[in-house]
Amino acid sequence: MKKILALILCLCMVPFMAACGGGGDQGSSDGDQVTLKLWCIATESDANRPAYLQAIEDYEAANPGVKIEMEAFENESYKTKIKAAMTGGSSDDLPDIFFTWGGAFLGDFVDAGKVVCLDDVYANNYTEEQIPSVMLNNSSYDGKHYGVPTTFNIVAMYANMDLLAQAGWDKVPETYEELIKCCDDLVAAGIIPFGCAGSETWCVTEYLEPIILKSIGYEDLNKIFAGEATWNDPDIAKSVDTMQEMIDKGYFDPSGVALTNDEVKANFLAGKTAFYQNGSWNTGEVAGADFKSAVAMFPVINADRSTANCAIGGPSDHLAVCSESANADLAAEVAVALGKEICHYNYLNAVGLPAWTPDYDTSSLTPLMVDIGNIVNQCEGMVLFGDTAMSADPANIYLDYVAKVYGKEIDGQGFIDGLTKDLQ
Amino acid sequence: MNKLYSNKWYIIIFLLPALILFCGVLIAPIGASGYFSFFDWNGFTEKTYIGLSNYKELFTSDSIGFMKALGNSLLLAVLTVFLQLPLALALALVLGKKIKGERAFLSVYFMPVLISTVVIGQLWLKIYNPDYGVLNVALRAVGLENLAHIWLGDKATALGAVFVPILWQYVGYHMLLLYAGVKSVPPELREAAMLDGATDGQVNRFIVLPYIKPIIKISVIFAVTGSLKSFDLIYVLTNGGPLHATEVPSTLMISMLFLRNRYGMGSTIAVLLIVLCFAFALLINFVFREED
Amino acid sequence: MRNSSKTKEVLIYIGLIIWMIVNLFPVYWMFTFSLKSNPEIFGENVIGLPKEWLWSNYSTALHTGNMGLYFMNSAIVAISTILITLIVALMATFALTRLIWKKRKTLNKFFMLGLTIPIHASIVPVYVTLSKLNMLNTYWALIIPYSAFSLAMAILVCTGFMNEIPRELDESACIDGCGVFGIFFRIIVPLMKPAVATVGIYTFLQCWNELMFANVFISKNAYRTLPVGVQALSGQYTTEWGPIGAALVLATFPTLFVYIFLSKKIQESFIAGAIKG
Repeated sequence: MKKILALILCLCMVPFMAACGGGGDQGSSDGDQVTLKLWCIATESDANRPAYLQAIEDYEAANPGVKIEMEAFENESYKTKIKAAMTGGSSDDLPDIFFTWGGAFLGDFVDAGKVVCLDDVYANNYTEEQIPSVMLNNSSYDGKHYGVPTTFNIVAMYANMDLLAQAGWDKVPETYEELIKCCDDLVAAGIIPFGCAGSETWCVTEYLEPIILKSIGYEDLNKIFAGEATWNDPDIAKSVDTMQEMIDKGYFDPSGVALTNDEVKANFLAGKTAFYQNGSWNTGEVAGADFKSAVAMFPVINADRSTANCAIGGPSDHLAVCSESANADLAAEVAVALGKEICHYNYLNAVGLPAWTPDYDTSSLTPLMVDIGNIVNQCEGMVLFGDTAMSADPANIYLDYVAKVYGKEIDGQGFIDGLTKDLQ
Repeated sequence: MNKLYSNKWYIIIFLLPALILFCGVLIAPIGASGYFSFFDWNGFTEKTYIGLSNYKELFTSDSIGFMKALGNSLLLAVLTVFLQLPLALALALVLGKKIKGERAFLSVYFMPVLISTVVIGQLWLKIYNPDYGVLNVALRAVGLENLAHIWLGDKATALGAVFVPILWQYVGYHMLLLYAGVKSVPPELREAAMLDGATDGQVNRFIVLPYIKPIIKISVIFAVTGSLKSFDLIYVLTNGGPLHATEVPSTLMISMLFLRNRYGMGSTIAVLLIVLCFAFALLINFVFREED
Repeated sequence: MRNSSKTKEVLIYIGLIIWMIVNLFPVYWMFTFSLKSNPEIFGENVIGLPKEWLWSNYSTALHTGNMGLYFMNSAIVAISTILITLIVALMATFALTRLIWKKRKTLNKFFMLGLTIPIHASIVPVYVTLSKLNMLNTYWALIIPYSAFSLAMAILVCTGFMNEIPRELDESACIDGCGVFGIFFRIIVPLMKPAVATVGIYTFLQCWNELMFANVFISKNAYRTLPVGVQALSGQYTTEWGPIGAALVLATFPTLFVYIFLSKKIQESFIAGAIKG
């Protein structure tokens, strides 16, 4: 009996053993029609969705032989899904083209050999003028390009001018001292200055990173995010303390700690908070709100180390091509063409700045977007969002510490000590 | 017939489907998890063998906070055993006595068990909403404004707020199990005790409880291992936040696997979860056996 | 004496009714806010019945949220899981209680390990295997793991029921010339009908709620189950409560409806499991 049991156990293991060899290669081309699968996060509620649909429609109309099948997933679950699919790795469950964040997120897939290099497509079909190489930096590894930027965003501070007027302000504060004064006036007038979603830590970084940036400058912050310098910098500790002071003084909506970004944004759009600092992809929505809006950058805190002309942001959303695609060459061409067009429509819809140089009429742009464009044009330096710049493990340790700052578990010294220790 | 029933081939044929399913989906993967737990592996590149480093890091690293997560789930286990089960037992004893409206009470109390956990989570998310949730609205309405809270966002209240729906949902489950036990007590035993002048409390204490001890044991095992495995409601309500205040081993495992790309570490947590569940099941068996 | 037992009884009833309200109120509140607009939910009318019954929330949940499809998927997965679990468990229980061999007690204990193993612990290896077998995004990706994890409980319950079937029935069938399969299918299986209901309920409770596997193994909309669908919809409508409420109601009320009509039967079967187990 024992032998039989052992035999059965072995039989059960067979799928696991066999698994290592297998992997089907059913291409999805039938006749002259090729179908390409595209995975993205442009769900019904996502501001990028119209651009995706329009770009796909245009492309299919111009290339009748290609059909693009788009599937959209909710942001957080997509991170799980795409990683899990890459881990599993049979071509049937993988898309041909997929949405990805630049920096380390895509870098992990590139290291694992899962992504097609797009150098040939760029070299053969596009010029430096159309796509400046600086826009490809976040998806380039060892000098090779693997991603197509679909948009380009910075952290912007949106203001509700109607609420500011109630506190006696007719312009957005330009210096740090003015901002503090403005916040005090708002609080005195019974208006909450800022809303920040504590249940999504990336929203907290949208506040903390600009504060750090305007305290130590873009060159130093870039080095720290790249791991070339440590976090042990007293000015970072001071910026963290600055943010916590702002929380203590009641500048932040206390309900925010338990809310999602959508809820915080809805509060701002409904006139509950005076400012909302988040990615420039919100521009269209803010412009559509029924109050007078304006946009600015967080002001300089330490003029010795930082100028006003730098921002947190960069091209972070990308399309990339899966190396196990049965039609990888075609998919590479489609991905670049599609990315360029998504970028085009995103810009016109005011959900992102153009990573690709506009070659179309932009006169219909909302003025708020034009303002952000002007801010970007003056920028000397950019720092990519910290959680995108770092790879998954350190990024999550970093986010943990940022959450602790917002939850007032640690002060500035604790923040730099902890990160210096945990992120060597 | 004994000869017929001893035929090896029949034994194999009848057992094979169960063994394949059980070994293929439960046992072999556990073996594989055990194997992965000795590696540093991000899920797609090559694995590196690192021996017991994952286990060491898990127990010592503050930034992972495994001990805290474990503490939370043990606290939940304690609460289920000392709060949820006594409540379920009290309800079962009361309803087991042929009380008026027994059926209606029983049906309503069991109802939350049938509602999907995600639905319950989403519903409580709305109940706890700091601005519009029914809990804070009610507190404000009766003038207890200062008790209104950001229930799921405040480290001090989040764990309690997450435990309430977990405890609430399964009271009915245990109540019905125990009710079944109470109903199975032979009426003669009860009547004999009553004739001897025993009060209700004494009947429960000396007749019913000893009689339903095996069912209480099952309930305790389910409650404790259930607490160690708890995931769905916490995932929906807080996903371990704020600041890991509501982290339990299974939420930690999922964030290791899919947020931090640490498949080796995730597998290590999986292995420890299994070991813990077994250890507690054995312990509970032992505790109940000793008194027999 | 009489007076005090009277007050005691009243107190017990008060306690029972309070607990009843605690159980009913969330469901009532869910139902009412599923029919309200945001302004009503957010202040004008928090706990009352809706002033204006907004059925459009339901059409949003059904059309944009695809709740009908998800409900079907959940039902397909649950029914198939119950069927497979039953067949496999009945066969195994037969071998474990009727057939004669040395290690059957040990093997029974081995199966009982499944009662305590957390389903999450096997997620990575099961995922890798399903993916290599090209079985992700199929109903099977959920049915097989769910069946495996329901097996232990099913065997436990079936063992209790099968031990109650008198062995003389097997003997006489054997004398009448029945083989092992004959005895199993003609004598044992028909007598196990009560176990079918019990196993069905326990298995249903386990797979109807499952979120983690359903979330990771299924990426195609067409195969999503209710828990994942509800979760996705609430991610899309964080600021509009009406449609979420409608989705929650749609995910809940059909089961509750069945429960109201069959509550006695369901409870009896559940109880049978507790005693037999």
